[in-house]
Amino acid sequence: MATQALPAGRTTRYLSLTRELALTNFKLKYTGSVLGYLWSLMKPALYFGVLYTIFVHVFRLNQRDFPLELLVGIVVFTFFAECTSNSLGAISGNAHLVRKALFPLSALVVSQSITALITLSINLSLIVAVAGPLGRLHLGLQSLLALPLLLELYLLALGLGMLLASLHVFFHDVAHIWEVMTQFMLYGAGVVFPASLIPLRWRGAFFLNPLAQIVEDMRRALVTPAAAWTGQLVGWEAAIPIILSVALFGAGLLCFRRLAPTFAESL
Amino acid sequence: MSEAPAEPAVQVRDLVKRFRVPIDRSRSLKYRFSHLRSTSRYRELLALGGVSFDIQPGEFVGIIGANGSGKSTLLKILSGIYQPTSGEARLRGPFSPFLELGVGFNPELTARENVHVNGAILGLSRAELERRMDAILDFAELREFADQKLKNYSSGMQVRLAFTVAIQADAEILLMDEVLAVGDAAFQAKCFDVFARYRQEGKTVVLVTHDLAAVDTHCDRAILLDHGTLVADGPAASVTAQYRRRVGEAQEVQDTAPTADLANVERWGNGAIRLDAVELLDAAGRRHSNFETGRPLTVRCRLTAHRAVDDWMVGFAVHRADGVILAGTNTKIEQARLPSLEPGQELTVEYRIPFLGLLTGTYRLSLAVEATQHAVTFDHIDQGFTFRVNSTTWKAGQFDLGGEYRVVSEVRAAEG
Repeated sequence: MATQALPAGRTTRYLSLTRELALTNFKLKYTGSVLGYLWSLMKPALYFGVLYTIFVHVFRLNQRDFPLELLVGIVVFTFFAECTSNSLGAISGNAHLVRKALFPLSALVVSQSITALITLSINLSLIVAVAGPLGRLHLGLQSLLALPLLLELYLLALGLGMLLASLHVFFHDVAHIWEVMTQFMLYGAGVVFPASLIPLRWRGAFFLNPLAQIVEDMRRALVTPAAAWTGQLVGWEAAIPIILSVALFGAGLLCFRRLAPTFAESL
Repeated sequence: MSEAPAEPAVQVRDLVKRFRVPIDRSRSLKYRFSHLRSTSRYRELLALGGVSFDIQPGEFVGIIGANGSGKSTLLKILSGIYQPTSGEARLRGPFSPFLELGVGFNPELTARENVHVNGAILGLSRAELERRMDAILDFAELREFADQKLKNYSSGMQVRLAFTVAIQADAEILLMDEVLAVGDAAFQAKCFDVFARYRQEGKTVVLVTHDLAAVDTHCDRAILLDHGTLVADGPAASVTAQYRRRVGEAQEVQDTAPTADLANVERWGNGAIRLDAVELLDAAGRRHSNFETGRPLTVRCRLTAHRAVDDWMVGFAVHRADGVILAGTNTKIEQARLPSLEPGQELTVEYRIPFLGLLTGTYRLSLAVEATQHAVTFDHIDQGFTFRVNSTTWKAGQFDLGGEYRVVSEVRAAEG
């Protein structure tokens, strides 16, 4: 075994590497476009516009708080989709670097999650800044619960990202499967409709999906605190998606650590 | 620094690396699922078959060998990018994480931004990089282009920047793969200046390269790999000489194949006379494509007339590997008489070189059959044949001038 390069200050080194890579991702993402960073705001907004039109004007989903619930769902979903799909290509897309330089490869994936996190923070701040004064949000003590929910979301997305990034090196099918999965999640996680539409007997199964649980509870934390939280809807089983998120994070980390030494020769 | 018995900077013991190369390179899940049980779908490739050596601190070692000999694999295992199948490779002290220049560069980022990213890969903090930024840009001679995107840089500029970044690593051991293959002569000189400074500082440099001349000039020691085994390890000059001989022998074996392939060469002409066969013969009249400086070489060609031709000539030119013509002559210049030919008649013509003046290198041969008076080409084969020349001398350049030194005065005391 070769000894670790430049062992001094490994944590600091890792953090500064991740930061530089994340900043680079963010810069590269919008390079060459006229609106630049604005696209990170425009995309969910346009998405929202389309879905709002469909569900409110076509399907007549006229609950008062639905638009904002939809917006919160889209922002959470955008982070999930961006983080996982960008992580997926983080190793295979940097084959040259992976084969010719030694550095902690996980930084490539973590930096993608940070980049997605930057976009998420901007989007959420914007929702709070715009919708808050309009009185459409219900911000209170319960809103603090958004923080552990975001942590759960982050662990889930990063864990899946690690898993996808390592598997994609060996199986290119993963990209296609994940693309379909992501599209499915838009509906399967109740991003585009309120959970109240789900028949009662299916709700237990529905909220086993961590993303569904996160989206729903984020809506409670920010928009409609009076409605039922997932814990109230399904009881103790609401702990399962949280455990699943943490477990997926652990599994992603383990899988990545196991496979990382073989990435360079498998690419 | 302790004065205790010096531990080697690099320690390699019985290093074995096998690659499993899928025979069917399909990487789909469907394939995997439908072949769950088959384990024989891989071919084992032995890249390194038990290599051992030590490198002492401060040594400057070149690793040489043909393509596929395992040199790059060895370097990747040393740096920890590949895992060995068995055996061990131990490096003492921090080493530079880049095996190649500019691998972490992104063309869409400016020079400054690229320095930040690559500096972070090297393990330098942002503050440290900011402190060094001016020095980096100055050394790379790119200060006024610092905020331009890298894609607008010339390749020379990119290489300068890459090299400057790479040497920022506070490494005790430098591992470099084909660094010398890039950049102009001035840049390469700069590389070696830095390497020389490293040597003074007692740093260790391990260089994988095809450039034997560079190994001769700059390395203390060379390691020769052949098909994953270490076949020579010693003073650079003697190992590179051994490698040159091996290359020559290997080609000799390959080249005893008796047919010259005239089908796949670039040729043109109206076909009034066509070259049917071209052979290079050694002193004993055997076909070869390996020759030795100072020994005879004969270019022999057989041709057939397809029309009646009475005033014609045949000639050839020797090119350097990069296409530059080094020598050339034809029957007209040499005032050699050629007979008139009727359709269907064959003729064999040869040009004998008693003492081959070319020095070590790979050369290419062009041949042409033309009308003497008018610029009409009957048949022209452009750089269609490759041959090698090996020298046993150390003379420099492409040609042995064939001269000799003489002392033309008496030894005298200087006056005054």
